[in-house]
Amino acid sequence: MTDLATLSARALAKAIRDQQLSSVEATKAAIERLRACHELTNCLIALEADEVLSAAKAADAAIADARTTGPLAGVPLAHKDMFNRQGKIASWGAKIRPDTPAAADATAIARFKAAGALQIATLHLAEFAYGPTGHNYVLGHARNPWDPARITGGSSAGTAAAVAFGAIPVGLGSDTGGSLRLPAACCGVTSIKPTWGRISRAGAMPLAPALDTVGVIARHVEDLALTLGVLAGPDPLDPAASSVAVPDYVARLSDPVVGVRVGVDAALIAEAHPQVQHMVGEVTDILVALGLTRAPCRFTDWQTLDHLVQLVQLPDASSAHSVFLRTRPGDYGPQVRARAEVGHFISAVDHLTALRARGLILKRTLAETFKDVDIAILPILADPLPTIAELDVKGGPQVQAAMGRVVKYTRPINYLGLPTLTLPIPRSGGLPNGVQLIGRPYAEALLLAVAQAYQREVPPEIARPLKM
Amino acid sequence: MTTPTSDASSAYAEPAAYLDMPPERRAAAKVHAALLSKTADRIARELPFSADVDDFRRVLVEEARS
Repeated sequence: MTDLATLSARALAKAIRDQQLSSVEATKAAIERLRACHELTNCLIALEADEVLSAAKAADAAIADARTTGPLAGVPLAHKDMFNRQGKIASWGAKIRPDTPAAADATAIARFKAAGALQIATLHLAEFAYGPTGHNYVLGHARNPWDPARITGGSSAGTAAAVAFGAIPVGLGSDTGGSLRLPAACCGVTSIKPTWGRISRAGAMPLAPALDTVGVIARHVEDLALTLGVLAGPDPLDPAASSVAVPDYVARLSDPVVGVRVGVDAALIAEAHPQVQHMVGEVTDILVALGLTRAPCRFTDWQTLDHLVQLVQLPDASSAHSVFLRTRPGDYGPQVRARAEVGHFISAVDHLTALRARGLILKRTLAETFKDVDIAILPILADPLPTIAELDVKGGPQVQAAMGRVVKYTRPINYLGLPTLTLPIPRSGGLPNGVQLIGRPYAEALLLAVAQAYQREVPPEIARPLKM
Repeated sequence: MTTPTSDASSAYAEPAAYLDMPPERRAAAKVHAALLSKTADRIARELPFSADVDDFRRVLVEEARS
């Protein structure tokens, strides 16, 4: 029998829909895998076994009565614990939490439910989703399923660990400065951070709303396509949610990729560790072998982009936390407290300058960087996968520099709001890592088609501790 | 004669005086903000007077239409 851990959500949904497998069986197996994953990685915040088994029974009954349902009917999923769920209190990965249970589901949760998905558990995240490594001084650090001494990346740490382990096929995360891409890369799976506004953020914990982007982490590219189609679209509850038409991403997976121009910014990539440069070259070679065309491109003044994104993010996050920072400073972990303080030192004028410049700089990037290319490729981590101990900087004076190095290649893209997709590298028995494909606004279908072609050459893997 | 300093003006003299921060972290925060401020100043000189925070969303929408 097929190992359920290896199935995509799409394949699992089909097996359940065709009654080759019941939702209860799939859910029981997922519960066991989540428990095992948690023991290894600290991925869980809350396991809701009884509730989800009741929901699975109901899903099976609905399918048996041909009353169904949606493209994810009966499929058990789990998500980063920052989304409102009716009657529940999200942990936000923190000691400070909402005072009362949510009155309604976050839009992303509601859309998954409407598609028939079940929710087994809530998953680990960096405190307030404000950390790129998986360190959490309140909940305990997340550990990488390939090597528990190493980071998972963050902030969507538990989702990436659980997906990589095969506990769930896909789960929700968010990305304000790299929080979908970094954990996907560190855990050797894929993710999509869509164009800013493509998925509603209503009911998701805000970190820096001008940058916050809801997205998904999965092992199979087809699950990125399926779930993006479920989640994307306008939402009256989030005025930033885009009304741009949502394509059939699954149908577009087979779009031809021959001739797609992939841009390589050699100078920017050269700022990464040599091993990472080699990984980017290796992935690019695979893409070229698939028929893509390699072309030079240049992100003009990456450091300026990095400063501008901080000028947006730091005060945005500090504003959300300003009351708690004054009234409950001791309830913060040291790293988030130190980072949330910095925004108070940035002037309103500087913050607004960065926001006013955003349109101009996006336009310039599209006209220059993407002039002769369709997508661009960059590293995600600047360095080989670090250990938890190496990046355990707490709130010390090196925190900005250390975190800045981790998000060097991810954070500036959030300023531009561009869609990015994580491709895991071919591991060849070694530790995982990943690169990002960056597209023009709303080019998700193109990114997914390229990634689907790549995944035929570099198939998804299930993470288990390596014998080093 | 000296003018007494009000609590409010003291607060303006020291950014984020309301936060309980050790001196070294406060100093590091000021240095970081000053670094970013130089970039903001340079970018402000390039911006047209009419630049608006909503320009970003306008460019995204234009791109979707193109």
